[in-house]
Amino acid sequence: MFLAFKEIKHEKLRYGLIILMIFLISYLIFMLSSLAIGLSDENTQAIKSWNTEKVVLNKNANISMSQSILTTEDLKDAKIGKKEALVGEAPIVAKAKGKASLSAQFLGIKNSQFIYKDQQLVAGRKATKNNEVTVDQSFKQKDYKLGDKISLNDSKKKYKIVGFVKNAKINIAPIVYGPLSTWRTLHDAMPNIEASAIISQDSNYKYDKNSAKTYTVATFINKLPGYTAQNVTFEMMIGFLFVISLIIIAVFLYILTMQKMHNFAVMRAQGVPSKTLVNSTISQSIILVAAGVIVALIAIWITVIALPASVPILLTPAIMIVGTVGMLLMGIIGSLIPIRQILKVDPAKAIGE
Amino acid sequence: MAVIELKDIKKVYGKGLAKVEALKGINFEANKGEVVLIMGPSGAGKSTFLTIAGTLQKPTSGEVLINGKDASEFSSKQSGKLRLNEIGFILQAYNLVPFLTVREQFVLVDKIKKHNNLSKEDLNKLFDELGISELTKKYPNQLSGGQQQRVAIARALYANPEILLADEPTASLDTANVEEVGKLFKRLAKERDKASILVTHDPRLEKYADHIYEMMDGRMTQKK
Repeated sequence: MFLAFKEIKHEKLRYGLIILMIFLISYLIFMLSSLAIGLSDENTQAIKSWNTEKVVLNKNANISMSQSILTTEDLKDAKIGKKEALVGEAPIVAKAKGKASLSAQFLGIKNSQFIYKDQQLVAGRKATKNNEVTVDQSFKQKDYKLGDKISLNDSKKKYKIVGFVKNAKINIAPIVYGPLSTWRTLHDAMPNIEASAIISQDSNYKYDKNSAKTYTVATFINKLPGYTAQNVTFEMMIGFLFVISLIIIAVFLYILTMQKMHNFAVMRAQGVPSKTLVNSTISQSIILVAAGVIVALIAIWITVIALPASVPILLTPAIMIVGTVGMLLMGIIGSLIPIRQILKVDPAKAIGE
Repeated sequence: MAVIELKDIKKVYGKGLAKVEALKGINFEANKGEVVLIMGPSGAGKSTFLTIAGTLQKPTSGEVLINGKDASEFSSKQSGKLRLNEIGFILQAYNLVPFLTVREQFVLVDKIKKHNNLSKEDLNKLFDELGISELTKKYPNQLSGGQQQRVAIARALYANPEILLADEPTASLDTANVEEVGKLFKRLAKERDKASILVTHDPRLEKYADHIYEMMDGRMTQKK
């Protein structure tokens, strides 16, 4: 550690540039990870806030709630207990006079069931009448206020916003919660259509009769439109960044080591054990990576605060820990290549040069 | 008893047509309190002699006795320990760690060899003796060739070894500095009871030597 610190202190520019590279890569890793988690969260926020375990959909709906329709016939034998709730989903465009149009998802729910009861209000109250809705708190960022009357799609009927709810996003769109009867209206549904899905908090819940089929929440989430493709894309980018960081660290340390071979030979000739030189190289790599990562963490923290709330970014402790540990691991692996060269240093080379 | 003794040392590099006999049966010894010069032209085998005497490489045959122990069969780790404790190497210019200040060169030895180094008082005395007390916060690239060499000598002495092995210690020095370094080795040998073995081309050092060996084509003959 002594040699590692002293060398970095003495060669500020050279090591500063390496730290800069590590900082940029780490920053990008934290940024992409935060965006991936942020987008993933906005895809699944509501589903997770309901503590969903099982989802019952029409078996021909390709595991898509917005495509699913469950009829009275489908649900005639379904057990709807305290842990189950009927949901009707429809994509909408919400608009209030003088305000921006917002693409959202209307979720029709029943007042007697847990999704209605468990809404996490940040302002206002729950909807109690057919012409009342509660909306995701992101509506506030678009200047929507309690009491605003919104139209859904091109309907002439107005719905009054009586509450703002947190954790109310699905498919990256804000949710407008209202009665199931409103969903039927929006859907131009036949009288025998009950809902899009049954959401259950019971992991043992199963209802596979008629056209209904039960799916686990994981299956349901993975089939959310674009969800898996988006996650795989992010995972690949983050994975490549780790590989790039490994290559950069290994190449830099290798070049630096090769430049220092004569110094190493001199030190070996003077009795400095290989172990000391190896420890110094590993320590150097850890110090460089740690410095780059710490600066990146500070920068990403500032970025997250500075970005507008509409950007789906979520910096979690898990991202910081996994990113940091991952980069340190890359640093240690990257230092193993030059270590091979150090172990091969011939102290006799110090003589006569 | 000689502090270092080489008996019938042979060193062969390569095989077949590429075979080179760098040392052809060298016998050599040095005692404490002596300055010994090894002289000879380039290619005579001086560097090979130094690497074998300093346990940096093994001879093809023969014995290297350091304080009576045969070091020619030592493992790399044992050789490293021997060099750290019993042999002080003074290499050609640029043999100081470039990113350590003069004082830190000694801290490095402290970090590796946790005991038996000179006390702080003795180290300061050594700095004074070598005229480098004012240089302790400087980096090697801020020192002249002569100053670097004096620091290298101080570092070699820090672990208090019995043998000093110097490779061309006056290679890049002007005459005034050569005289200074020559006197210094003489004084170290006499006052600190070291065996100082200097491999050199430089005839200006001859007057400080107790013994002079000449090397030519892998053979060694005593001249003085």
